[in-house]
Amino acid sequence: MNPDRFEGLAGAFGADLDRWPARERQAALRLAAARPDLTGPVLGEAARLDRILGGAPSPSPSRELFQHIVQAAPRPPAPPAPWRWLAGLGLAAGLAGAAAAGVVAGVVVAPAALPSAHAQAASDPGEEAAALLREPSDFGEG
Amino acid sequence: MTARGADLDDDLVVRAGRGDPAAIRDLVARKLPRVLSLARRMLGDPGDAEDVAQETFFKAWKFAPRWRPGQARFDTWLHRVALNLCYDRLRRRVRATHELPDLADPGPGPDRNLQARDVGRRVDASLRALPPRQREAIVLCHYQELTNIEAAAAMRVSVEALESLLSRARRSLRTALADLGAAP
Repeated sequence: MNPDRFEGLAGAFGADLDRWPARERQAALRLAAARPDLTGPVLGEAARLDRILGGAPSPSPSRELFQHIVQAAPRPPAPPAPWRWLAGLGLAAGLAGAAAAGVVAGVVVAPAALPSAHAQAASDPGEEAAALLREPSDFGEG
Repeated sequence: MTARGADLDDDLVVRAGRGDPAAIRDLVARKLPRVLSLARRMLGDPGDAEDVAQETFFKAWKFAPRWRPGQARFDTWLHRVALNLCYDRLRRRVRATHELPDLADPGPGPDRNLQARDVGRRVDASLRALPPRQREAIVLCHYQELTNIEAAAAMRVSVEALESLLSRARRSLRTALADLGAAP
């Protein structure tokens, strides 16, 4: 590295060699060690500007801004809400009721006309409804 | 940013994407000061800077559930998002005024005893007087402490182009702040 290149890098990246491109840092360090008479004033001038730039403090976020951003963040998957459980229960009860009404209608309206196998089949929706009554666990806990 | 810091970012983003409240708070605590600082130095106006910081995180929250660790550095991605939002606002200002804000340097003369706050104001004003790309280069490298590779990636330029922007920016700043001792 020659002194001109050293000056160019200091003029761009400042006096802190850690901010210089990695591929040129070692050569710069060697030149700084070998020619402090040339590199010292260059780094000194760059450091003066670095210090002045550092005199502009960074703003601190307000608590309100922090909270507002946090509140807009993704939510974890919602646990089952009670109303959903109740809605499921209501649906199941409704189906069970409809099934029971069907059974009653079958028994009352045409008991003699229905073969016994059909009467047996009419109870199946009731089982379906009973299964639905067990459904709330499908809404999960987590 | 160190590789360890990038790994921690990845972990926090993935967990935040799943709605983990602790990760969300940690991530905001780590990144909000950086995003706000970037926006404040790019835009000057504190209210605009807060708006940009907020919008940046809203975009991050949308993206977090799909974040894939190792694809890119979250910090660089976040800077890019914030910078785009800053440029949107700068363009709107240009449309409103037909020119980029050319803020007069309100700095006092060299004989005045400057307080730290005054120095900060002078520096801020000098930064705002720079062309936006030069200002961006200085803000990313000097204040945000991105490496030159990260800053070049965030700006979508080569390291050589970044160096050129930085050189011109620092030359202007040295002249503008000469009375503060920036130049010998």
